[in-house]
Amino acid sequence: MAAKTKAKSTGKHLKQYEKEMNMCIRCAYCFEKCPVIKEIKWDTDGARGKVIMSYGLLTGELQPSQYIADKVFRCTFCRDCLDRCPSKVSILSIIASARAEIVDAGFASDTHKHIIDNIKKTGNIYGDTEVISQEKEGKTPLFLGCQYLGRPNKTKKYVKILEKLDIKPTIVKEICCGFPMEVLGFKEDYEKHKDNFKKHFPFKEAIALCPTCTVFLNEGHEIKAKHVLQIILEKLPKADLNMKVTYHDPCDFSRGLKIIEEPRKILEKLGVEIIEMKNNKENSRCCGGGGGILMTDQELSNDIAKKRIHEALETGVDTLVTSCPTCETTLKKAAQEISETEGKTISVRSMEDIIWKGLK
Amino acid sequence: MKIDIPKLKKIVGEDNVRDNIADLYVYASDASVHSSLPDVVVRPSSTKEVQEIMRYANKNRIPVVARGAGSGMSGQTVPLNGGIILDIKLMDKIIEISPQDVLCKVEPGVINDELNSILEPHGFFFPPTPSSGRICTIGGMIGTNASGNRSVKYGATRDAILGMKVVLANGDLVTLGSNTKVDSSGYQLARLIVGSEGTLGIVVEATLKIVPLPKYRAMGVANFATLEDAGKMISETIASGVTPSMLELMDKVAITAVNNAQNLGLPDVAAIVIFECNGMVKEAVDYEINQIKEISKKNHGTGVKITDDPDEMTRIYNGRKKLFPSLSKYGEGLYTTALADDMAVPMSKIADTVQKIHEIAKKNNVVMSAYGHCGAGLIHTKILMNTTKKAQWQGAKRAVKEVYDYVHSIGGTTSGEHGIGFSKGPSFKEEKKDSLEMMKAIKKAIDPNNILNPNKLMDSPDDWLTATPLRYQVSA
Repeated sequence: MAAKTKAKSTGKHLKQYEKEMNMCIRCAYCFEKCPVIKEIKWDTDGARGKVIMSYGLLTGELQPSQYIADKVFRCTFCRDCLDRCPSKVSILSIIASARAEIVDAGFASDTHKHIIDNIKKTGNIYGDTEVISQEKEGKTPLFLGCQYLGRPNKTKKYVKILEKLDIKPTIVKEICCGFPMEVLGFKEDYEKHKDNFKKHFPFKEAIALCPTCTVFLNEGHEIKAKHVLQIILEKLPKADLNMKVTYHDPCDFSRGLKIIEEPRKILEKLGVEIIEMKNNKENSRCCGGGGGILMTDQELSNDIAKKRIHEALETGVDTLVTSCPTCETTLKKAAQEISETEGKTISVRSMEDIIWKGLK
Repeated sequence: MKIDIPKLKKIVGEDNVRDNIADLYVYASDASVHSSLPDVVVRPSSTKEVQEIMRYANKNRIPVVARGAGSGMSGQTVPLNGGIILDIKLMDKIIEISPQDVLCKVEPGVINDELNSILEPHGFFFPPTPSSGRICTIGGMIGTNASGNRSVKYGATRDAILGMKVVLANGDLVTLGSNTKVDSSGYQLARLIVGSEGTLGIVVEATLKIVPLPKYRAMGVANFATLEDAGKMISETIASGVTPSMLELMDKVAITAVNNAQNLGLPDVAAIVIFECNGMVKEAVDYEINQIKEISKKNHGTGVKITDDPDEMTRIYNGRKKLFPSLSKYGEGLYTTALADDMAVPMSKIADTVQKIHEIAKKNNVVMSAYGHCGAGLIHTKILMNTTKKAQWQGAKRAVKEVYDYVHSIGGTTSGEHGIGFSKGPSFKEEKKDSLEMMKAIKKAIDPNNILNPNKLMDSPDDWLTATPLRYQVSA
């Protein structure tokens, strides 16, 4: 079957990346650790496949469809491809723009639409109308993020840790940073959300609890944001917890913010020995929770997470520590499933749990 | 083309057949400049499934193109005539590792670097070291007779293949070669399959020679003010009797590209030669690396640096490994294309060839870089151009022809390791005009219905530029 004559589509979101898509030489280096292609093993579903499909959407050789939507949304945004691509193509920006084309064409999933509606109506991804206020008057603006807003106990723990270290956070009645809108293809909604966000969080510098929010405050809102662990490290006293753990680097930490040593130094200060997984630091493997697939592609998300838990089990320790709420949730679920089906057990814990234990 | 999709689903399973336009569009291209849609993509998991697919395809004269990572640069896996793409990624088992026989047996979908990570605890590795080793499959490497940075010492894939199992066009399974290092038992059919680019059979299992991992390694870098001096250094090194494990040339265009993309801070000179020696005895490695250092200095090399620090060696090696795609950062509006991407010339002609490449590029208003495993006489280049402009493609077409005409005139060959596909078809046919009929006769004997990756190699179209749509949007 011969290729059809090429005709351009409107591609209003993808047009700005036309040059980069030409720059992509389709070398497939992005395959190396792409968690999706490692599980699915179809070229279409991997990073290169998505860039090629995006090119097709731009030129009009492909038209948005449910099938293409399913493929383009099959990405955890783990950032590994960005590190592997020697031409430094903005692969994730291209995928986000392809998602926007697909959403504009009417192929957004109901689940994603629901999340965006929640943000628009209530300011958080869960649709919680009655958010328990944690407002505080302090010195340093602290951005909680939806995941911590929705789990007040985790937030309290971090706030108590900061106060013990004589750091007085300012907590305002915040709304979602808007990252889900950007990454799930609701770009117009995000543009409208930006001003509202600024009204609720009118700061130029901040500390954030969630790694993804930390990245997005910097990249999407031009707020100089540090992650809370970077601040905690500066003031944390030593302790002797005498634990042996493995540490899972969240993608947004190790590849997004390049925060690799800080969590390790914190654990070291607390007397916790780290036995590294085979793939660690900037080569950390994805937990399977990002990019929206946790909600729409649970089987794939779980398969990716289980691979990571198996890697953790190979270290021989009984505890995995991580510093991202999404990683914690996803890996906990996978660990539980492996415990039930294979009889192998590892406990998944958050950094704030360990720090709190050390400060008590 | 009418293909019985339900039948294929029955052979390999519902989940292993795709014919949606999105899949076809993705599988239509590889790392070459071409794009041509298949009719269906099929993923077999076993030899038996491959045989059934081939029996069906042969009976119905449906073309079949085997594909691993799809990282080929000359259109090897672009299906010129539609048909079936056979994605072999599910056939990724390592069947046997036998250190005492210095061999291993693998399925074709095993990834080169993943194989080496499994072999490492045994103290061995599979010696061809393609730059794409992190993603390329053993099947793909066999298809193109791939080699890489260490070809100067270890040779190419053909030198590391002991035997294989191949499914022929009619579905028959044959066992070729042996498990031994030496084999004088008749025609060397396994070696014929290597480099045949999927036109003679589908490799379903390969017996690979593995070699001991060297204990010591040292690397050196030398800078040269002229290509001529660099070329002389390379020839003299090979002729001297030392056995470098790497001898790589990078020209000015390559240096600039790597610095822009990788921030390595390489010096601004006409050429850099990276050399490496490895072995089991440190003193022997040190002796050899120092010999090369002296040869470099004798040929006006400057800033000669030697290191055995693992981090420093990794840094230099990674930059070279990512050079090809780094070329996309060379200049605004210039895109890297895999055209005239490799060739091999007599060692004494390396410098002249690099010089000629630059002249041809300038004459045809494109940018061309020259680099490669020059210790084996292999030169890589890429054409950097504005792929959206028709005039640039005309210039590129002329440049490709002129480069290969020159290569042939000095006794070189069209491809050293990337293969022919059909991007290099016209030049390859010109080079091998004496033996084209012999190749065609072999093909006809083994694949009488011409279903295995048709219209490649000696059967490739006369004009690569118009053989398929280009994967780019080209305006007048």
